Order: sequence, then C-alpha cells, then structure tokens
Amino acid sequence: MLDASQRILAFRLLVMLAGSLPAAWLAWQWFFGDLGAVPAEAVVHFTGRTGLILLLVTIAFSPAFRLTGWVGIMIARRQMGLWAFFWLVAHMLAWMGLDQFWDWPWIRREMVDLPYIRYGAAALLLLVPLALTSFRYTQKAMGFSAWHWLHRLIYVSAALGVTHLWILTRADYRMPMLFAAVLAALVVFRVVDAAIHRR
Amino acid sequence: MTRYHYPAIPESEVTPRELFEQRRRFLKGSLKSGAALGVAAAMPGLLLSPTARAWQETLADQLEGELPSRSLAGEEALTDKTDVTTYNNFYEFGTRKSDPEVYAHRLVTDPWSVSIEGEVEKPGSFALEDILAGQELEERIYRLRCVEAWSMVIPWIGFPLAELLKRHGPPSRAKYVVFESILDPDNLRGQRRSIIDWPYREALRIDEAMHPLTLMAVGMYGEKMPNQNGAPIRLVVPWKYGFKSIKSVVRIRLVEERPTTSWIEQNPDEYGFYANVNPEVDHPRWSQGRERRIGESGRRETLMFNGYADEVAELYAGMDLTRHF
Repeated sequence: MLDASQRILAFRLLVMLAGSLPAAWLAWQWFFGDLGAVPAEAVVHFTGRTGLILLLVTIAFSPAFRLTGWVGIMIARRQMGLWAFFWLVAHMLAWMGLDQFWDWPWIRREMVDLPYIRYGAAALLLLVPLALTSFRYTQKAMGFSAWHWLHRLIYVSAALGVTHLWILTRADYRMPMLFAAVLAALVVFRVVDAAIHRR
Repeated sequence: MTRYHYPAIPESEVTPRELFEQRRRFLKGSLKSGAALGVAAAMPGLLLSPTARAWQETLADQLEGELPSRSLAGEEALTDKTDVTTYNNFYEFGTRKSDPEVYAHRLVTDPWSVSIEGEVEKPGSFALEDILAGQELEERIYRLRCVEAWSMVIPWIGFPLAELLKRHGPPSRAKYVVFESILDPDNLRGQRRSIIDWPYREALRIDEAMHPLTLMAVGMYGEKMPNQNGAPIRLVVPWKYGFKSIKSVVRIRLVEERPTTSWIEQNPDEYGFYANVNPEVDHPRWSQGRERRIGESGRRETLMFNGYADEVAELYAGMDLTRHF
C-alpha cells in the first residue's frame, strides 16, 4: 500500500501522463501518416480539443476535492491547468503555422473579421495571467484570496473556449453541446457549493 | 535461402487478349442465364424485373473504351485519389470527414433508378442502365471548391445534365430543377439524426442546369463513382460551392417556383440559393478569399466562380451577387 505522500506523488505523475500522452499519440499519428488528407487540420482540431478537455478537467478538480476531501487533488491542480494552457498555446501555434502558414496580414485579418477567432484568442489571453501567477511564490506574494479571485478567470476562459467551438461548428452540435453541458454542470456545482457553505 | 524465380512462360502459351475476353463474356453470359433460370424456377415473378447488376455492366463497358477528356482546371495537378476518397462531406454517413469512407459500403446502389418528374413531357422512373444506354460519356477535369474553404481538382466521368433533360422533352414552363438524394436511414447512419431534414435536396435555375459545364457524373479517375463520392450518379456544378453538387441522386423534378434547399432550411442566413464561389462574399463565420488545395501546403487565392467566370458569369449579369449569394 502507498502511504499518503506516495499517493500524492502517484497522482501527480498521473496528471503528468494525462497532459503529455496526447502529444505522444499525436506524434505517432503524424509519423505514420494517420491524420488523414489534411494533417494540419487534424492537428489544429486535436490540440484545441485536448486543451479544452484539460481545461474542464482542471475546473473539475475543485468539485472533486469538495466531494472527496483528498488534498492530493488540490496539489496537482496547478499542474493540470498548466497542461491545459500548454495545449491551447499549441493550438494557437498550429493554427498560425499549419493552417495560416504564418501569413501575418491574413492572421490579423482573420482575428479582426472572424468572431470565433476572437473568442478563441480571448479565451487564451485570459489564461496568460493565470499561467504567469501559477508559481508557489506568486501565490504567496499575491495573498491567497486575491490569487483565488484571479484564478476564477478560468471559468470565463472555458466559457469563451466553448463559445469558440460552438460558433465554428457546422450543423452537428453534439461535441460543443457536450462541452457546454459539462461546463454548466461544473459552474452549477460551484455556485450551489458556495451557497451552502456561506450559510 | 532459395531465391524465387519467376516462371518463364513462352509467348505461345499466353492466351491472346481477344480470346480471353471472349471467354469472360461467354462465362458472364452463361452465368447470368444460368442464374436467371434458377431464379425463375424458384420465383417466377422475378423474371419480369431487369437483372440487378445491369447498370454496372453498362457502365463498365462504357469505361472500357477511350473517353474524350477535357481539362478545365488549367495546369493544376489532379488531387490525389486517396484524398478525394477519404476526405468527404457526405452527412448521410456522418459529419466527420472520414465517416463516408468508413460507412459508405452500406449504401445500396443495386438496383438504382432516377425518377424524373414535374414539368417534363416524359416523366417516370428510369433505371440507371436505361439512362446510361446510348449516352456518350466523357472525362471532365474540374476544380471543386467546398464552402469550408478547401478545394480539389477531380477528373469526373459523366455527361451534361442538359442531355438528360432534353431527352425528357424540352423544359418549357419549368424554371428550376430540384434534385433529391437517396433516403435510407436503415443503411445511412447519418440520416438517423435530423441535423438536416432528410432527404438532402438541392436545386438549380434552369439555365444553370442546362449549362454545358453542369455534369451528371457516374465515375472519376477512370472508374465508376466510389460510394463515398456519391455513387452511382451525382451532380457536378464546378462554379458553385460543393454542397450544390448533390450526391446519389434518386429524383429530378422540374418546377416553376423557386424551391428551397436543405442548407437554406438548415441555416438561411449562411447559405443562399445560388452558392456561387465568390471570394468577395464571405460566409458569415469564415472568409472565402482563400482556400486550402488538398495535398498542397500554403493557400491559394479563391477565383471568382471558381475560375469559370468566362463560361458562367453571363448567367448572373446584372445581379447583385452580395444579395443573391
């Protein structure tokens, strides 16, 4: 049996695998030419989907802690959030490089003209201060409650991310609906939980 | 390790091609009559129906000969056939690009008939073999531009829709032509969900339908049409976004009033009746100025009417293409 600190270590390794294994899978698919007729599009979609999933998983860590009370979840939460950020940055770079071929005038035009690009860019931009303040010393320096307030931006970012996915979808809304439903459930849990504890 | 040696066959032992083909014809013929006898003995009623594989044999014979070929894509290279058969929008099989190739074997094309109805002199349901019989086929190399801003260059095999329409009498009163795809939710898994009001419907103005560029295609890359590309017979309108080129057509109706189409019903703000390729008029959610040519890196500038302006621009003379998108 693992003792308490070993279990925390094991869980952190698990989070590391969850964040990094999709990259191995993507590299494998790319290497063996399994990404279909338009590999660039497959990479853009995969990185975006993985990033959004990991963002929702990060948000789910807090309810999971509420329900289980196990501290290991909170210890691994920042790492999970950084993996989500990593994938969403990869998503942006894949779009700029593989989809737009670093054509800056066009990238700028698309960002100005296309709402779904704007929503996506806003979602990622909101995560930048969270990633920058994710170190333990910034957490301490900011003070715990200020840090928590700032990091609630993750909900706004996820909502913008789901909106981004929703408005670029053509006809088949199953996937964006699933993401929206999961996010809504997490928000409802958070609100109800806060209301109960305030009383 | 012993090396394998190809057996050397003397020229005299090789069956001449003509003999070989005669033998195949003889075998096919006797198989058919033999099978027909057996079937007739078991189920006499079936004798009246045509042989189930007839259109495929008619088409196979037509594809054997040298077909006249015309390229209308300039010097642009053909898109790799593997890409054309694995990257498809054919929501009847699912909405992922890879779905059609995976599930298209469920499409039943045997037998196939097309109902030609409405304002025509000779309406009725016509077996595909009868539509193909005596019809000259040709190869046409066209660009295909999807509304999702990707494009391909495809060597279609088919015949002008105008020839089919003329055979059923000159369309006198009709102003529009409506097309309908197959409806078969048992085999087409995508039709079990109503993302579109099935069956898929498309339409053209009569002058667009009679235009010599407008093709009914029954094959591509020298072979019969793969299921995922719209077997056995589909429309190809090269100057319009791909969704206008309806696949697996079972019904052609000539009408007086302008009909609605599946995509207009699905989202009237985003899809218009004409859907002409136009780099100046953006889709509300993405730009149409450039396109990704499948198999190429980088982007191409999208051409007005997909590069067919010289042939078709006059059809729309005086029309505000921003309003009639």
